This record gives sequence, C-alpha cells and structure tokens, in this order.
Amino acid sequence: MLERLGRATIRRAEEASYAFGFFAQVMRESILFFRRRQVGFKVLVMQILFTGVEALRISAVLAVAIGAAINLIGSSLLAEFGQSKLMYSLLIIVITRELGPLLTAFIVIARSGTAIATELGGMVVAHEIEAYVAVGVNPISYLAAPRLLGVVASMLTLDVYFNLFGLAGSFAVVQLIKPIAFDEYFRNLLEVLGAGDLLMGLLKSLVFGVIIAVASLYRGFAVERASTEVPVAGIRAVGSSFMLCIVADVLLTAMQYLG
Amino acid sequence: MAAPVLELRSVTCTRGEAVILDEVSLRLEEGEAAFFMGAAGSGKSALLKAASGLDVASAGEILFRGRELSRMTRREEAEFRRKTGFVFQDAALWANQSLYDNLALPVRIHEPGLGAAAIDAAVRRAAELVGYDEELRARPAELSLGERRLIGLARALVLDPELLYMDEPAANLDEESAERVHEIQAALKDRGRSLFVASSSSAAVSRFADRVGVLRGGRLLAYGSFDEAAAWTDPALRGITGRLKARKAPPRPEWASSLAGAWADALAEDKSAVDEPEWKLRDGASGDGDIDSDADAGPSEGGGEEDGRG
Repeated sequence: MLERLGRATIRRAEEASYAFGFFAQVMRESILFFRRRQVGFKVLVMQILFTGVEALRISAVLAVAIGAAINLIGSSLLAEFGQSKLMYSLLIIVITRELGPLLTAFIVIARSGTAIATELGGMVVAHEIEAYVAVGVNPISYLAAPRLLGVVASMLTLDVYFNLFGLAGSFAVVQLIKPIAFDEYFRNLLEVLGAGDLLMGLLKSLVFGVIIAVASLYRGFAVERASTEVPVAGIRAVGSSFMLCIVADVLLTAMQYLG
Repeated sequence: MAAPVLELRSVTCTRGEAVILDEVSLRLEEGEAAFFMGAAGSGKSALLKAASGLDVASAGEILFRGRELSRMTRREEAEFRRKTGFVFQDAALWANQSLYDNLALPVRIHEPGLGAAAIDAAVRRAAELVGYDEELRARPAELSLGERRLIGLARALVLDPELLYMDEPAANLDEESAERVHEIQAALKDRGRSLFVASSSSAAVSRFADRVGVLRGGRLLAYGSFDEAAAWTDPALRGITGRLKARKAPPRPEWASSLAGAWADALAEDKSAVDEPEWKLRDGASGDGDIDSDADAGPSEGGGEEDGRG
C-alpha cells in the first residue's frame, strides 16, 4: 500500500511538474509571439473572432438581464432601509468587480474552453500536431500562444462590454420604475466608481483568460491517441477552468478586501 | 569520414509501462534507402517517429549528421526540419486549412523571404510531382484517403528534403498512385536523397532498399545491406527474406506478359518462393545482382500484388 501511495505521489508530482512546464512555455511563447515570424497571426485573429466577437451577443443579453435584475431586487430591498443611494455602489460591486469578470469567464469557458480542448484533442488524434512539428512549426508558438492571446484579449473586451451592457440594462429598468435622466444616472455611477474597481475587474478578466486558455490548451494537448479521449478533454477543460477561476476569484477578492 | 546522415544509438521509447522501441541502434549513410519491415505493431511507425524526433526517446541518442536531436538549438532544429520530410501513414493533413495552405505552410515557415509567386510555384510543383492536378483550394475532408496521402507526400517534398521519413507510403493506394510513389522514391534516390521507410511491401523493398531492417516487438531483429538481408537464415526472419528473394527472381519470359500468363507466372513465382530450398533461392538472388533493375516488379503489379499479399 505504501508503495502504491508512493507511486501515486510521484505520478502526481510528475504531472504537476509537466503542467507547470507547459504553463511556463505557453506564457513564454505568448510573450514572444509578436517578435517571432508570424504565421500564427491568422490563428490569433480567428480566436478573437470566435471567443470575443461571436460571444458578444450572449454576453450582452446576460449583462442586460443581470443589470436589470440587480436593479429590480436592489431598488425594493434597499428602499426598505432607506438606502436607495447604495444602488449605484451595488451595481459597481456586483457588475464591474465581481459578476462581470466571472460570468464573462463562464461564457468563455462554455464556448471557447471546450472548443479549444476538443479541437486540439482532435488534432492530436489525427496526427496534425505531429505534422506541425515535422515541418518545423512549434505547436506552442503556432497553436497555443495565439489562442491564449486571443482568449485574454476577448476576455478583457467582453468584460468591458459586460459592464456597459449591465449598467445600460439597469438604466432601462430604472426608466420603468422611477424615470431618471441619463446624465444623472451615469453621474451617480461615476461617483461611486473607483479606479480600483475597474482595475480589479480587468485584472480578474486577465487572470481568468489565462486560466481558461492554459487549462483548455493543456487538456487538448494531453489527448494521446483515441478519439474517445477528445470529449473527455473538453469536459476536463471545463471542470478545471471553472474550479481554477472560482479559486482565483476568491483569492483576488480576498486580496482586495483584506489587503 | 563524414558523419552518417542519421544514426540511432541504443534508442528506447516507452509508452506508460510498455516498451515500444527497445535499444535500437543503426546508421543510415548519405544517399541510402533504409526500409523497415515487420508485422503490424512491431514498432515500424514508432521507429520512424523516434528517429525523426516526433516522439521523445526515453533513452539513447539520435543524431542527424552528427548532431544529437535532443541537444539541438532552436535554429538547428529548424534547419533539421527544413532538411527532412515526414510522410504520415494517414496523411495527417491540417483539416482546417486548404490543400494549398497545407503545402504552402512549410515554405512560408522556412523561406520567409519568398514572395507569393515563388511560394505558389513551389506548391504547384509539389502537387504536380505527386500527380495531383485537382483544385488546391479544397479542404482535406473533400478528398479520398488516397488523394490525401498524395498531398501528404507532396507536403513532405515541397522543400526538397535531404532525408525523407516515409510511413507506409504506398499502402492502400491504387496501383497508379502506388507506382507514382515508387517513381518518386526512385527519383529521390537518383538525386542522392536518403530514405527512411517503414514498409510492408517487399516489392518496394526489393526495388529501392540499400538497407533492410526487421522489427518485432520493438526490437530491431536485424539490420543490414540488401544482400545481407537476402542471406539471413534466422528462422525469425525467414518469411521476410523469402519474399525479398522472390522479388529478385530472373525476369519472366515474354509469354508471361499476357494477363493469363502473368497470373500463371505470379502463381508459379509464389510457389517457387515457398518450395525451393533456401540456398538455391539465394544463389538465384545473387545471380540477379541488380536490386534496382526491378525485372519482376513492373508498374502494374509491383505495388498492388505485394500490398495485397502483405
């Protein structure tokens, strides 16, 4: 039993070491991406198109709905305590700092995380990755780096859009309950919006983007031979990304409030 | 003395607990064609992938012109890839790219200074070489497996490599395409290129092999010149040597050129390969002398017959 435990520990340590090495290599190639001869630029553009542009509609619908819901709940609840003014703080905290990055991450995980993992897994099974290596193309710099950059750029952009649409959705509800001038609404919002809120939202989007991309790439490249491994890679990419994003969210939030 | 174009020193590859290549050592000199034979699962593809650096060896050294693959710098590795090509058994074309881009990518990577016209010329030349004259804007999924494999061969040839790894290049191709692959192998040999081929076709081995290797269970049972291979007497190698000898039999008489005659001749040839004593066959083989003359493996039956048998 002790032997089995030892072997399992060694295997885990090897996997962790491999995962860390993979992460380091993807980050290195991503940083050097714009300095290298760029045949992967098209991959970057396609990734932004798929992850960012094509997710815009669902992100906007979700943001408007969330903004509206917060306003509906907040306006009735806060009014009971005579704290209606706190509505703007609540909107900023929930949409800009917390839910915006997290829900955007969930959208990207559901759409792009699975797509990246299964696409790469399929390429491994079809020996396409080996074919890239055989012709002298580094799969990390050609396939992984542009995907990571595309996902991160899309996360940041989608987060900004989520904020705009979320606050706009809230404004639309305000017009139904208690009409208020557009400039007054946004002036009140800007009064409570600090640079720290914006930066934390963007930092979370950046971290979540890196997590989603690396986890999905790792799971995709980890497929070995069988096509049955491909959907499993997709499922694992989603599971890992969700878990790591939530853990990172808690840590970043704790840093902000406790630090 | 110049370093061999490729050298493997006690190369071992493992997958999990399984050993898929077991201490394989061999040398391939400039301009030579080495063919590796063995049953399915014997380690032929694993050998090619290890020798080309596509699979990482768990032990041993692989040297290309004296430079060890695992110690190459990024630039040296790019140069190695520039000078070598790999033909995959299942084509391994990039499904999300057009055929044109499949052929153009290696050129774009290794010849970044080339203009669109020069890239286009290289792509069209490679496609023409393998006899593909259809639309190159199509995606690989629109092609038959045979066509995909021809494009896979064209991709490996597009940069005119010095060393070509080929994994069953003519298997499952129609006779015309298989013969074209053989013609390309002949042309590559004429141009002094080195070939490292996994093959189940003893016809191809008899036509082109300077060196023959036999694999079983990941072990290289034997590796030697074609003449040495023809003289192997080990029972474990007898099936393969028998087929090689059959290929080296004297040319058939003219009457055998008719279809019925050819069938009869093929049957007789098969029978003689089985029945005749080994020493007699060996004499016949050495009397033939020229392995490239391919007297008995004409374009029509060379690949097809052997592929069917193998």
